[in-house]
Amino acid sequence: MFSIQTFLDAFVPLAWAARYTLLVSCLGIALGLVIGVVVCAMRLSGSRLARGIGALWVSFLRGVPLLVQLLLMFYLLPVIGIDVPPLVAAVVTVGICASAYISEIWRGAIGALPGGQTEAAQAIGMGPATIWRRIILPQAVVMSLPALVNELILLVKASSLVSVVGILELTRASQAQAATTFRPLEVYLAAACIYLAINLCLAALGRWLEHRMAI
Amino acid sequence: MTQAASVDMTRINKFYGPFQALRDVSLHIPPGKVTCLIGPSGSGKSTLLRCINFLERYDAGEIRIDGQLIGYDTPGGRLMSGRRLREMRRDIGMVFQQFNLWPHMTALQNVAEGLERVRGLPRAEAEAQARAALDKVGLGDKTANHPARLSGGQQQRVAIARAIAMQPRVMLFDEPTSALDPELVGEVLAVMKQLAAEGMTMVVVTHEMGFAAHVADRVAFMERGELVAAGTPAEIFANPRDERIRAFLHSYHERNAFEV
Repeated sequence: MFSIQTFLDAFVPLAWAARYTLLVSCLGIALGLVIGVVVCAMRLSGSRLARGIGALWVSFLRGVPLLVQLLLMFYLLPVIGIDVPPLVAAVVTVGICASAYISEIWRGAIGALPGGQTEAAQAIGMGPATIWRRIILPQAVVMSLPALVNELILLVKASSLVSVVGILELTRASQAQAATTFRPLEVYLAAACIYLAINLCLAALGRWLEHRMAI
Repeated sequence: MTQAASVDMTRINKFYGPFQALRDVSLHIPPGKVTCLIGPSGSGKSTLLRCINFLERYDAGEIRIDGQLIGYDTPGGRLMSGRRLREMRRDIGMVFQQFNLWPHMTALQNVAEGLERVRGLPRAEAEAQARAALDKVGLGDKTANHPARLSGGQQQRVAIARAIAMQPRVMLFDEPTSALDPELVGEVLAVMKQLAAEGMTMVVVTHEMGFAAHVADRVAFMERGELVAAGTPAEIFANPRDERIRAFLHSYHERNAFEV
């Protein structure tokens, strides 16, 4: 028998655990955006060394599962003498991993800009830094918004992986709840509802931003 | 208006790998006059035009704007510094076939951007001058529109305003009406005629033979990277001596003539 009461009761503790889900994915994407710009600039730069490092960064982080990256980071940090709480390690790892995908999103958006955009700016004597800041980036941000929202939603779901370093986020909390109540179906259904609610909100936020920033 | 400049090109050569795009082209662009570059597509006329503001790098020869070499420190020497090149480009306006307006800015911002960021004017002053430039091309009432809310002809006029607002001494036009619907060509040509009448040095790559014949002071015909002939419109259009020009004009007339 499906117990509505258990299902409803599960929401409060799970929603509380979901704060870690939100924290890890939102801070992760923020960090990923910043590192992503740097990696993207390296991949588009004139220096072969910078391009090479950027390409390595992207292929390693895309080629190794996030779960393995989290475990690597968790066991690597003490070895090199860095002592940080697991939550910090988790956010940094998620951010670094996201930066690989985000830098490719930026690169694609910048590559899709017509070459004439830059030429028109060069023709009036504008310098490269101003061209990036005033002409290229504003357009690239808008063009990459749908892909960035996509990435954020993927991160919300992937954040369940940070439970391996002992963070009690939404998925891990529902496992615990299911074990204590012996009502896995109700609990996991509640967890699914919370994930869905979070992601629908993020998608709506994305659509609103897209609409606001539409060119 | 600021003093119109002359452009002198001497034995320009340009290669794309093994392909030679320009062969020993020498051409004098007199100040304050309209020079039209015509010829079949792929003849190198756009490439030559883009060499004048060094958007395209020429490999040998010299291009001088009012005597000042552009692109290189010395003929055949090192590339000039980015800063120096940008300074020279401020004096050379350019209008592109695809307009290349910045879609995230209004018409006013498109025109004011260079005044503010390149010439360093305060915003209010930049916007006032941008407004004046838009008025001049007949778009004083469209300042708040983004490019997507303008017709092709209006977009190209904004692009012209963006260039003239910088008070250039030479204006380059790269097939300015080729991307326009036929009924919108006239409004752009009208603005160009007005500029010509004010004594702007203009170099125009065009397929509009009517414009070349009636507005140009000089017409230069190019084919396969070579300058075949340059002269007055009458010399080029009325009695061309070169067989290649006759063939080009013949096919042009054939395409554009119709009988009912």
